[in-house]
Amino acid sequence: MTNSSRREFLKYSAAAGAALGSTSLSNLAMADEVLKVGAVYVSPVSEIGWTKQHSLGVDAIKAALGNKVEVTTIDSIFKPQDAERVFREMASSGNKLIFGTSFSHGTPMQKVAKRFPDVAFEHCAGIKHTKNLGTFEAKYFEGTYLAGVAAGHVSKSAKIGFIGGFPIPDIVGPANALLLGAQSVNPDMTCSVIFLNSWFDPGKEKEAANTLISQGCDVICSMTDTATGVQVAGQKDVWSIGYASDMSQFGNGKHLTAFTLDWSSVYVNAAKSVATGTWKTSERWQGLSEGVVKMSPLNTDIPAAGKAEVKKAQAAIIAGSLHPFAGEVKDQADKVRAAAGGTLSTSDIRGFNWFVKGMVGKLG
Amino acid sequence: MDLFIAIFTGTIIAATPLIFAALGELVVEKSGVLNLGIEGMMLVGAAVGVWVSYAGLPMPLAIMSAAAAGALASLLFGVLALTFLTNQYAAGLSLTIFGTGVSAVIGKGFGSAPIDALIPLEIPFLTEIPVIGPLFFNYDPLVYFSFIMFGLISWFLYKTKAGLVVRTIGESPESSHAIGYPVIKIRYLAVMFGGAMAGLGGAYLSLAYTPLWVENMTAGKGWISLALVVFAAWRPARILFGAWLFGSMTILQLQGQALGISLPSEVLSSLPYIATIVVLVVISKNWQFLALNFPTSLAKPFRPAE
Repeated sequence: MTNSSRREFLKYSAAAGAALGSTSLSNLAMADEVLKVGAVYVSPVSEIGWTKQHSLGVDAIKAALGNKVEVTTIDSIFKPQDAERVFREMASSGNKLIFGTSFSHGTPMQKVAKRFPDVAFEHCAGIKHTKNLGTFEAKYFEGTYLAGVAAGHVSKSAKIGFIGGFPIPDIVGPANALLLGAQSVNPDMTCSVIFLNSWFDPGKEKEAANTLISQGCDVICSMTDTATGVQVAGQKDVWSIGYASDMSQFGNGKHLTAFTLDWSSVYVNAAKSVATGTWKTSERWQGLSEGVVKMSPLNTDIPAAGKAEVKKAQAAIIAGSLHPFAGEVKDQADKVRAAAGGTLSTSDIRGFNWFVKGMVGKLG
Repeated sequence: MDLFIAIFTGTIIAATPLIFAALGELVVEKSGVLNLGIEGMMLVGAAVGVWVSYAGLPMPLAIMSAAAAGALASLLFGVLALTFLTNQYAAGLSLTIFGTGVSAVIGKGFGSAPIDALIPLEIPFLTEIPVIGPLFFNYDPLVYFSFIMFGLISWFLYKTKAGLVVRTIGESPESSHAIGYPVIKIRYLAVMFGGAMAGLGGAYLSLAYTPLWVENMTAGKGWISLALVVFAAWRPARILFGAWLFGSMTILQLQGQALGISLPSEVLSSLPYIATIVVLVVISKNWQFLALNFPTSLAKPFRPAE
């Protein structure tokens, strides 16, 4: 793979463009041809985090298709106006399958996909799919629910602290599920929430974790892209829950578990189906049963009963007999949102703008 | 009481990177130079600090390297703005852009990797005193160093002849030059000092505050420091006060969110900015006081007559 800078990419794509000058781009990739795949990352590939997990998906393509595939990746593309140029470059330099990995890539991908109808586009965290633009997203809430079950078994103060970037459904939902998981063990559990109102601010994240700990929270779950929350919790000797990657190396032995993201099945399936000409657009929303959400090894200090219960809940979610948002679910104002025996609907879960009972915090 | 200690110590720590960067910029601006590159120099300092520490070298060396890297980065601005007399706003902005890029390159090998952190001092006897100990005697060495620098800079600017010369150059480089002071040389020294302080502020972020390197980890702290200098009317004590005010409001709004105060988090998050600007503007609204402290030649290029 060429884990290239933007400059290298431009050089490379110019050369590729020249080489392709006489070839027709409209040919679908043949089975014996080398498939060109592109991926655009939102941040650099570091040791852990959101982009690292996507890079593992790209690695999985290379492992599965070997020399049948040629992969180009570009990192640190966040702004839609930059992204549009990069996606267009990738599409016009012969890539037949292109991944976008940020919500902000959505609008540019829709524009570029329209111009390149024979290129397959796959958008992570996307909300709108078209003829040649598929979307995929993870059910984070299944992971936080299980982490919540573990938290319920170790918390002495019965208070969890949650740190999120912005109060959007993809973060509010997992926070709700975290508490519901904990309440399945101890109905008196509460969860205090802090929103940083920034996608990225490690300093503020540290203060948020310190604040939650000073208010008595003894399990910290930080759904941001750095290990700061886990690190602060470790320093203060309270439990932590990692997100996206296993963060146990930062937790000072207090890393309960992490709900990690494994996109390799999505990446490999897309690459294989494009290679065989069977790719079709689709909208995927996958969790534990598809292996997109995984739990990292449970901390050995969790009581045996707790570990068993997490495993049991995990098996039940995979089997479909347990749903994190199964009724009865009440909101902060004690209103019943899902009656006993029912579950919240998909649109409720994907559009969360309210907290469940026991959450401490206010949504604007 | 524990909550009070948490808020108090959190404030001191959150203010430290701002104090380093803003005090450095104060000296630069007092000499009549406006360097908008603080964010870039902080990032370079933060990345170099982690780099040295990650290579297994001792912490003091990592901190000194960060300061040296900040000073080196500031030279880029110095050459552009002082030797070639380019527009200082443009030169400073380009330093921020340059520093952001360079720090990303330096940090490529150890993004989000765990490193050894600068740990709080355990001062025998003093740290163990109840309440007083955790409030005043349980910080890492850089926090104390920021106070020492505050004292030194205040003393230097207002009590020494060299400080008077710096301030005079900031008022009227022409007169200072006519008397025979090496205006450009002194401005270079001021700019490099500002760079070293910004580098220290960055190193504080990456080695003590959140001990890891993440691209763009300053998240705007350089710009906040720059605003502090202006809103504090170029007085060191007000910079210290402003940094604490900003830090305490940040922490109070987080406490408020976690307690479930019935205000949207978006409103609470904007409080530190609003409160700091309003308070500093109100206490500095005396025109005479402002005119007295504003370096008159700020951001104006100066070419010594041949």
